[in-house]
Amino acid sequence: MRKNDVFSGLLPFALVALFLCVSVVAQQKPVALRGGKLLTVTHGTIENGVLVIENGKIVAVGAANSVKIPKDSRVVDVSGMTVYPGLIDSETQLGLTEIQAEEMTNDFIEPSDEIMPHMHVYDAFHAESELIPVTRCNGITNAIVAPGSRDTLPGQDSFIQLAGKTQEDFLLVRDIAMPLNFSGEQRRNQGSFEHRKFPSTRMGLAAQLRQAFLDAQDYAQKWSDYEKKKTDYDKNNSNAEPKTDASSQAENKDKDKKQPPMPPKRDLKLEALLPYLQGKKVVVLGTEEANDLQAAVGLAREFNLKFVLNHISHSQSVLDYVASLHVPVIVGPIYEDPKPEERYDAVYSLPAQLSKRGVKIAFASYGAHDARNLPYQAGFATAFGLPYEEALRAITINAAEIWGVAESLGSLDLGKTANVVVANGDPLDMKTDVKRVFIDGQEIPMQNRQTQLRDRYRNP
Amino acid sequence: MFLRLPVLRAQQIAAVGLTMIAVSTLAQDTPPTTHSEVLIRNAVIMTATHGNIPEGSVYIKDGKIAAVGKDVSAPASATIIDAGGKYLTPGIIDSHSHIALDGDINEATSPITPHMMMIDAFDFQDKSIYHGLAGGVTTSLLLHGSANMIGGQAVVIKHKYGATRDAMLFLGAPRSIKFASGENPKRVYGSKDQLPSTRMGNFEVQREALVQAQDYMREWDAYNAKVKNGDKDATPPKHDLKMEALADVLRGKLLVQIHCYRADEMLTEIAMAKEFGYKLRAFHHALEAYKVADQLAAAGVGIATFSDWWGFKQEAWDAIPWNAVMAMRKGVKVAIKSDSEDFARRLNQEAAKTMRYGGATEQEALQMITLNAAWIIGVEDRVGSIDVGKDADLVIWDGYPLSSYGVPNRVFIDGDVYFDRSLPGLGMPHYKEGM
Repeated sequence: MRKNDVFSGLLPFALVALFLCVSVVAQQKPVALRGGKLLTVTHGTIENGVLVIENGKIVAVGAANSVKIPKDSRVVDVSGMTVYPGLIDSETQLGLTEIQAEEMTNDFIEPSDEIMPHMHVYDAFHAESELIPVTRCNGITNAIVAPGSRDTLPGQDSFIQLAGKTQEDFLLVRDIAMPLNFSGEQRRNQGSFEHRKFPSTRMGLAAQLRQAFLDAQDYAQKWSDYEKKKTDYDKNNSNAEPKTDASSQAENKDKDKKQPPMPPKRDLKLEALLPYLQGKKVVVLGTEEANDLQAAVGLAREFNLKFVLNHISHSQSVLDYVASLHVPVIVGPIYEDPKPEERYDAVYSLPAQLSKRGVKIAFASYGAHDARNLPYQAGFATAFGLPYEEALRAITINAAEIWGVAESLGSLDLGKTANVVVANGDPLDMKTDVKRVFIDGQEIPMQNRQTQLRDRYRNP
Repeated sequence: MFLRLPVLRAQQIAAVGLTMIAVSTLAQDTPPTTHSEVLIRNAVIMTATHGNIPEGSVYIKDGKIAAVGKDVSAPASATIIDAGGKYLTPGIIDSHSHIALDGDINEATSPITPHMMMIDAFDFQDKSIYHGLAGGVTTSLLLHGSANMIGGQAVVIKHKYGATRDAMLFLGAPRSIKFASGENPKRVYGSKDQLPSTRMGNFEVQREALVQAQDYMREWDAYNAKVKNGDKDATPPKHDLKMEALADVLRGKLLVQIHCYRADEMLTEIAMAKEFGYKLRAFHHALEAYKVADQLAAAGVGIATFSDWWGFKQEAWDAIPWNAVMAMRKGVKVAIKSDSEDFARRLNQEAAKTMRYGGATEQEALQMITLNAAWIIGVEDRVGSIDVGKDADLVIWDGYPLSSYGVPNRVFIDGDVYFDRSLPGLGMPHYKEGM
């Protein structure tokens, strides 16, 4: 595509984006959602319930006869509706793409090297993306944004909410986690022998990864040595009261010769790995088949990484092993095609199989344009044995717990952030129409580029 | 009439002359039929043409639907299947698929390749046929890709996985040809510094080919007239497979299926069809159909579209999930299709989305993956609804089919069970590993 085409093509969306991004209606007074069926997620279903939102928080939730609605509330009758917490998508590329086939609108991955932990999706995140209003109008209020999975360490994820004025409002937790992909897909130097360069195999990728973590450990050591020296130096220097006698003057003269220790040169790439090596943040291990899964877990253990599993779509033979790890699994997409030797429902039934073994699961769309369809994946998994309650948890509270935000998100509980959805039926069925969405207590206009096109051509 | 083209030699082509090239009655290997007479009873029958029949029965004889209704009698010899109150629908029809072609989707070496026959690439052992079957798909239109302005001719299959190759071919289905437009041809040939690299080039290449076909037909008409007048010295023009195929487009012998995203291009294609005197069957993808639905309805062109895919390329940027229903309300025949192995496994869910986006009724949504899709392929008299005389291609569902929860329990094709969820292994009565 020629440059001019790109610009002339993108201009109209920029204008619409401008209009839509100032989309959060300021909340004037408390809002009381009255008469709906509340799916609280953490404490069951409340038929004919009331939920009150004030200052961005859920300040009351319960049966209609037990909740006192504040006098100055805007009361919204939601009888016949279902009210549930905003849905959380545990991996998307929202804000990193506009039109997949148009390279200039994509910021998925920095492909110059397999080890790029110092790439931060927040630096690319485009809060004005037209995809975000489309997604949130279907009740998805929060998401992980992850870089592409083509490389071993492509960068760090951010956790977002799908509303706000600028990216500052959207980016709730920057660098929340780091994907470590080891699915075989990362071998990008395959091909004839004469064209191969390191690393071209899983062995190469693993060695490269180990070296990176070793380098980071050395780097951490250098800094800790420096910190220690500096502390000593500072201590010595701050103790050095001005002395007047001759001997101490000589001593001071010696000391003056000793320069303060020089800090090591900063290395952003190695620095990025430190919180993960120190177990302060979680690594998201992306694998598909059993052999890759076990190799990746081995690598994570070599460096004591704290990890969760991602995908594991074709690891049905080792699910007991997965359960024995006692880590959550981001599962899917369950629409992943089965392998030729697998039964048609091998991937569809994976969430149920994991849940049955006590594994905490969360769903992800792993997409951007289709992130709005996240809840249907959860619904479909129930047709293959996943209990309904667990399916709903897997796109709400489980996700919130996995990402460490359960104190404020993932359920209709007192004091939590008011990310609340009102729909005319079962949230997991695609026939259900989402009617209202609140994010951070603000009601979102149910408009996006697609509704505008619809309205323009429906009522010409 | 199904056109099967085995390896054709020039002499053979010459022998059959200008009309249909080769119509072979395939030696049909009879599929393994376990029941010649079946009565499915105690089902909620979603007929797709005349509403639902609660506690209904379907009597199948010789692979056809012989009776449908609340009270259906069958001879004592019939095998009885109790559906246990589950839903029964017609088999799903996918009007846009590229599965089971072993990757041979695009002969992207020239923008005009109407003589490519998808049957020559058809891989009857491809597991994606099974994956679709397990999702309730019984018939698929396997199309050429969209690299070329005029691609190849489609093959229509039934998903009888485990049967022979010939048994999978939908006998009697009309011939369809795939046209394309927009970004794909211009990207493919533009990247080789060839014509076309713009939409101007696209349509010019298409127009040029049709003009050549007109010339070709005139040459043959002139020759035939000479022969008729007793001119023994008349020399026949050369037989040209490519021109033959295009001539058949102009003769109205092929259903023209056009890959087309943008509204303006749909109008251009309609105008060009009018100019050259052929008829269009359907626009495929057709994501901007909602902008020109009146014109599509007036031209009698259907659409085979996605439910809610959008934004994957520039020409899909104006896609909206209300497209299907907005076009339908203007009188356009609408099908929801897969265009992917993945979506072919859950077209019922894709159709269900039209009930939410625009308020299609249950039967309208069901028709988008059955009867309307059959119309696009030109087999609506044979399949696509639960009506007497149609092929017994049926699905018994666990759960409500037009929802997140609908999963095929059993799938019948021509009255025989080809998929049964309750069976171990792959769930197919007629398939053995290594076939």
